Order: sequence, then structure tokens, then C-alpha cells
Amino acid sequence: MGSSSMAISLIKRLSSGTAPYFSLAFLLLVLAYLLSAATQDSSRLNDLFLVIFGIGVACLLLLVGILARSLFRLYRDFKKHEAGSRLTVRLVSLFVLLILVATSIVYGFSIHFLHRGINSWFDVKVEQALNDSLELSRTAFGIRMRTLLRQTRMMAGVLSELPDSELSHSLRDLTQLSGALELSIWARDGQPIASSIESPTIMVPNRPNDTIMHQLLQGEDYIGMDPSENDKLQLRAAVRIPQKSVLAEERILNVLFPINDHLSELGKTVQDAYSDYKELSYLRKPLITVFTLTLSLIVFLTILVSIWFAIWISRRIVEPLQELAQGTQAVASGNYNMQLTASGHDEIGFLVRSFNQMTQRLTHARNASQRSHRLLEQQTSYLTTVLGSLSSGVVTVDKRLYLHTANNASSKILGVKLQQRLESPLSKLAEINKNMKTFCEMIERCAVKGIAWEQQVELQKQNGNQTLICHGTELPNNSGWVIVFEDITTLLQAQRNAAWGEVARRLAHEIKNPLTPIQLSAERLQRKYAAIVPEEQVEVVDKLTNTIIQQVEAMKEMVNEFSEYARTPALQLQSYDIGQLIREVLAMYQSNPNHQFTLLNSPESVAVKIDVNRFRQVMHNLLKNAIEACEDAQLPVDIVISYHPLTHQQRRWLEISVRDYGPGIPFSIIDKLFEPYATTKHKGTGLGLAIVKKMIEEHGGDVWAENLDPEGTSIIIRLPLEESPS
Amino acid sequence: MMLWTVFIMPAFAVSKRLFLSLFLWLFIQTSANATVFSVNNPVVHPIGNAYVLTAQINYPLTPRVIEALQNGVPITFLQEFRLIDAMPILGSFWQWETTLWESTLSYELRYHALSEQYIVESLDTHEQQNFPSLSGALKALGDINALSLPPEYTEDTENLILEIRSGLDLNALPTPMRPGALISDKWQLTSPWVQAVWL
Repeated sequence: MGSSSMAISLIKRLSSGTAPYFSLAFLLLVLAYLLSAATQDSSRLNDLFLVIFGIGVACLLLLVGILARSLFRLYRDFKKHEAGSRLTVRLVSLFVLLILVATSIVYGFSIHFLHRGINSWFDVKVEQALNDSLELSRTAFGIRMRTLLRQTRMMAGVLSELPDSELSHSLRDLTQLSGALELSIWARDGQPIASSIESPTIMVPNRPNDTIMHQLLQGEDYIGMDPSENDKLQLRAAVRIPQKSVLAEERILNVLFPINDHLSELGKTVQDAYSDYKELSYLRKPLITVFTLTLSLIVFLTILVSIWFAIWISRRIVEPLQELAQGTQAVASGNYNMQLTASGHDEIGFLVRSFNQMTQRLTHARNASQRSHRLLEQQTSYLTTVLGSLSSGVVTVDKRLYLHTANNASSKILGVKLQQRLESPLSKLAEINKNMKTFCEMIERCAVKGIAWEQQVELQKQNGNQTLICHGTELPNNSGWVIVFEDITTLLQAQRNAAWGEVARRLAHEIKNPLTPIQLSAERLQRKYAAIVPEEQVEVVDKLTNTIIQQVEAMKEMVNEFSEYARTPALQLQSYDIGQLIREVLAMYQSNPNHQFTLLNSPESVAVKIDVNRFRQVMHNLLKNAIEACEDAQLPVDIVISYHPLTHQQRRWLEISVRDYGPGIPFSIIDKLFEPYATTKHKGTGLGLAIVKKMIEEHGGDVWAENLDPEGTSIIIRLPLEESPS
Repeated sequence: MMLWTVFIMPAFAVSKRLFLSLFLWLFIQTSANATVFSVNNPVVHPIGNAYVLTAQINYPLTPRVIEALQNGVPITFLQEFRLIDAMPILGSFWQWETTLWESTLSYELRYHALSEQYIVESLDTHEQQNFPSLSGALKALGDINALSLPPEYTEDTENLILEIRSGLDLNALPTPMRPGALISDKWQLTSPWVQAVWL
């Protein structure tokens, strides 16, 4: 199994690729060499005949194999409906038809002429003439032969009379007399008895062969022509020597007579011509067979080569068309990088070059479009980044008032993740909450107004009102609106604070100056006029002046607080442990047993950079505020203070919360809690929390209040923490 | 691959059957045509220090060969001799054979139409003999009388084997006849190798 698969793989490898062509070329070279060697030396043809024949057959088989492979591939492509296979098959069929018709005609005529040509070499008359000339020659020699036979018989008669001792001498005489070449006497068993040879170079007499001996012993004399080794003819006569007695042994006389040179030459010519003609005539049939075979083989080879060439040339013609077809398919399926190998300068080459130009242009166009698309994407992402990093909210709505885009800031300001609700109608977004409803209705209202508009919106948040300023601009081509809005709550707050600061500063300045003369005047009034007024009026004066003095004192205190609020001295920051600071402040409030304070320690000591004195003021204000709030509502004073560091918006903060369980902050003032005069208390200036906010903001921090559930308030301070060196 | 196999299998089967029938036909042909040359009574005699071979070769010519001969085509006969030193390794079952000497004698037999003689010519010595009859010529041709063996190899004759065979030299035929003769059994007359008896 293994060896057979190996053999199959070997055959596959040898039959694939260009190996068969190289083998064929090699074999043909070898064949050509052998043929040239054989034609140069005909004797080598005998040795090489089988080799040449074998190689020829191998070439033929290889060619048949190559052709079979080509045809099989063509058939397979045709079956698979490969591109161009139909055209190839059609071309090949046409070529093959042409080849077969042409070669058949040529072959038929060739065979006919071959037969006629070879047969025309032979002619009945020529044959007859040759036969006759041979017969004539034989007759001519026959007359002489009969004479010589008679002569020989006479010589035998003479010799029979002689004793053995004289034989040799008589033979010599007879040789000379008869003009013979050789005379010899032989015993019955073939032993020589005596001989006489005319030529001195020949030592041994020519023995009549066994057939002649046998004939003589049968009683028939022999006369015949004897072709000698040098192609000359001579005549041989052999007769029995008559026996003297019955007991004497039988002897044979053998005589060789010469034939004169001219006759011999003529005889040789006739013999050669006859023999050659006879041989040629005999070889006619095998010659025709061989020629026919050779011609058939050549025709067969020609047909095979032509068919193979037809397949090859058809493929050559169809190949560029096939490539074009594949290229067109590739372009149709979106592959514009297709480049075909340009072939030749004919129309097909022109077509291929045009195709290549077309795909190049398509590629350029596609690249340009891809570039612009990339540019657009870059710009979009640039715009998205810019919008994302804006602190202002930016949203766009289309003509139908569907939300189209929204940036991060818009979601943060409105507290709704707008990016997850793109392509929703504003009417649906309005259902999310009350604020969204206000915002969306404002947009819907304004969108009908005109090209650009500006509008301020108040939203309600948990920690107070939020003021947004919105600018709307119509997008080009009337395709919608872009709305840019900003949270200006802090800005308004700052404006209010600034205004209050100005008021406080002026109040302090304008009011503080007349207060001291008023107080001094009141004291002088009391001192001077107490003595001179009637007794019953002294008490009234005292009371009145005291009132003036007390009220002025109160006013002074108020003015001082105002000036404190308006004052903005430079901060003296130092690193301080916040826990320690809170404990120090709390120590001052421990005296009242009704007040309960709880400090939730942070697990770590937190150092923060603050102006210690002012921060003490902050804590005092907060604690005082909380205590007063609880006392006013006649609730037990229970204050919880906690602090802990945290990370918010990638920054470290310290958060301090002061929690009481008082009545909470009325909603009406929660957004103005940290403004001056925002108080529900009967006494106090209403500046405590305003000062807290101012100081915290001076520290870069923030403060806000939250109502607790079910009751109570939490004031939360956030101070920025220095990044730890680690 | 499948297609290839399917395509090739019937071809294999057909060619196999074809080859089988061809071999069978050839076998029948050769067995039916038993007229091949035969070497009879090959004997090696010692004469003095040397050895000589005598043998008779029977040349039964087929009508095809006789026809060619009578039409003036010369026929070449080959007589091949080889002297083998057979060293027994496993008795007579397996022997180590070395060819010591090889010789081929070529004779041409042709018909001389004018004299109606058959001429036998040795192509080695160019000696020729004439015979009025074909049978006489063949008899003389087949008579090997005292062919001396090379004395340098015959000092020890114990393991020596002399083999003889004879056949026609088809490559000497005229070119048009050769392809036909090479594939025709009418011309394949070569005798098998025959071992001579040592006396």
C-alpha cells in the first residue's frame, strides 16, 4: 500500500509541472544524437536500432501523456465552468478539426504516392529481361561446360589406364594440355591421391565438397560453376575414374577450368544485377510497410504535437481574456487593487492596459474618499473632545426636536445622562423629571422664535435652585438648533456676595463713624443732665440714655461684624491637624451639660493647610448656629462632627460635616442660606454662615447644607488637601 | 484525485488484460513454432595438450528464411562459444560462474543465382565454400569439426563448462526487413545454450 502510494506520488510529481517537457526535450536530443550517429555509420544502426526504437516509443508515450494531461485539464476546467474554458475548448476543437482534415488529406496522398512510387521501381519487362539474361548466361556457360565435361571424362579414361607411379607426371601433362587450373585425384573417403596445380601459390588442391562426392558416388558426374573467393568464376568438373578391376578402389578426378576474364566479368554483372533486382523486389513489401509505418508515425506525431500546440496557443490567447474576466469580477466585488500583467501590443494588450488604468483610477478615487472620511472622523472626534471638555452644556436638536448630540457637561448640569438618550424626542425627555420638563419646554418654546435666542431657566435641585443661561442658535440649512447653556448659580452667588460685601463695607464705614459721637453724646447727656433734671425725671433720662448707649453698642457690634464680613485680609496658611483643631474648639463648649458633642475620629490624622484663627471662627460659627437652631426649636442639642479625606474629581479633599438633629432648614431659604441675613433666628446678625462660606471659599473649598431625613441638618465643608508627596 | 483514479482504473484493467493476452499469444506462438536451431552432440576431445570441440548444429530454416535466401538476401549465422569456470559453492545447487572466454563465429549464406550455388562464407576468415544444394550448405555450416579451445584456459578442466549456441544475426538483414524480423517468430531461431561433454 505504501509503495503503491509512493509510486503514485512519484508519478504525480514527474507528471506535474514542466518535468515531462524537459524529459521529452532530453529524449528528443538523445534520439537526434543517436540518429545522426547511426546515419553517419550504417553499421552502428544495427546496434542502435533497438535503442532508437525504444527511445522513439518513449517519446511517443511521453507526448501522448502530456497531451492527455492537457486534454484532461481542459476537460476538468470545462466541467468546473472555469472562466475562459469554453472559449479554449471551442478554439481547440476548431484547431484540431483543421489539423485532422489537413493531415488526413496529406497522409492519404502521401501513402498513395508512396505505394505508386515504390511499385514503379519494378517492371515486368525488366524482370523478364533479367531472368532471360541469366538464362542466356547459363546457356552460354552450359555449352562450354558440356565440352569440358567430355574432356574431363576423356582425361579420366586416360588416367585409369596409368599406374599410380605415373599419375603425378601425367597430371602435370594433362593440366598443360587441357589448360585447366587444377587437376586432382581423390579417393572415395576424400583423401587426396595426386594433384597438379597450375598456380605455384596454391599448395593444397581444392576438394570437392561432400555433396559432389555423394553425387559422384551415386554414379552421376558433376559439372558446375564455382564462384571463387575473388568474385571470379571458374568451372568445376568431377568424374569417377573408371575402375581397372572390381577390387580396385574408386577414384575421383576433380578439374577446375578457368573462364576467360571477359566472360567472367559479364557473368558477374548479370549475377549482381539479377541478385540486386531480386532482393529489391523481395524487399518491396517490407519497404512499403516500413515507409508507411514511418509516415504514419510522423503524421501521428505531427497530430499530437499540433493538438498540444493548439491547446497551448488557445490557452495563450484565452489567458489574458480569462484574467480580464477575473479582474472584472474582482472589481465588481470591490477589490480595486487588481493589476493584470500587460501582454503584447495587440488589442488584448491594449484592453489589459486600459483595465489597469481604470483600476488605478478607481483606487485613487477610493483612497481620496477614504482620506476625506478619515479627516471627517478626525474633525468629529476633535469636536467631540472640545465639546466634552467644555464646562458649558451643549446639546443639539434636529428639526423634529429630537435630541441629536449632547456633551458631558450638559449631562452633569442637568443631572440626566443625555448621551444615553440621543435620538429621543424632547417631549419624551421632558418626562424624566421636573427640571428636564422645564428645560425641554423652554427649548420647544424658543425654537419657534427665530434664528437666535437667549433665555434664563431656574431649576430646582436638592441643594437649592440652579440658574441656567441658555443660548440657542439655529443650525445651517434649518436643520435644527444648537443650545449652549451654563450653570450661572455660582456666578450669581458671587455677584450677590460681592454686592453684600460692598454693602457691608459701606455700612461699616458710613455707620461706624457717627456711632461713637452718638454714644459719647448720650453718655455726656446722662452725666451732665442727670444732675440738673428734676428728681422724678432722672430715671427717665437714665433709661433713655442707656437705651441709646446699648443700641449704639449693638449697632457697633453689628457694624463690626459687617466689617469682619467685608474684610479680606491675606490668609496665613499653615499645616495643621484638623482633628486637633476641632477638639480645641469643642473644648470651649464642654461646659454646658445639656449640650452633647460627638467627634467621629478619622482613622488617620489629617493635616490640612489652613489659616488656623479663621478656621476656628468657622467652627465656632457652625457650632453656634447648630446650637441656636436646636435651642430655638427647644430640641436637645446633639451635634455630631466627622471628618475624613476623600477623592472627588481626581482631587483629594477633606470633608468635614457638622450634623445636628434640629428642625432643619426651611426650603425657602436653603439656596440663600449662606447669604447675609438669611436667618430664621430672632437674634443674631444673619452673617454667621455668610462668613463661613466666605472663609471656606478663601481656602479654595466649598460648603453646602443638606437637610437630613427625618429631621436635622448637615453642613458639609470640603477643603482641598495637598497631594501627599508619595 | 478521485476523478483521476476513476479515469485511470479501467485503462489499467484494459491494458492488463491486453498484456496478458499478448503474452499468452506469444507463448502459444513460440511453443507451437518449435523449429529452432539445435546443437547436437557437442564433445570436447583432448588432442595432445589442447582440447578441441566437435558438434553438429541442426539448422532447420523456416520457409520465410528460405524465401529471403532464394531472393538474394544474405543470411548471417552466428555460432557462439563461451568457456565458463564454475566454482561449486553449494555442491551443484549454486555455483560461482566466471566467463573465461567468449568467441563468436559468423558465417554468411547466400544464393548465387547464375551458378545455382549456395555459398557459405566465413566472415572472420573470408574463406568460402560452394554447395549445389541448400541442405549440403547447411550441413557443412553446422558441422563443427575440431574447433580448438584456447590452451591458456584449459590447463585445469575440472570445473570448466563449454557452452554453445547458434542463431541468425537479424541486425545484418537489410534495413527494411529488420523491424519485421525483430518482432517475428519466423526469424527467432536461436538455439538455447548447450553444454559440451568433456572427454
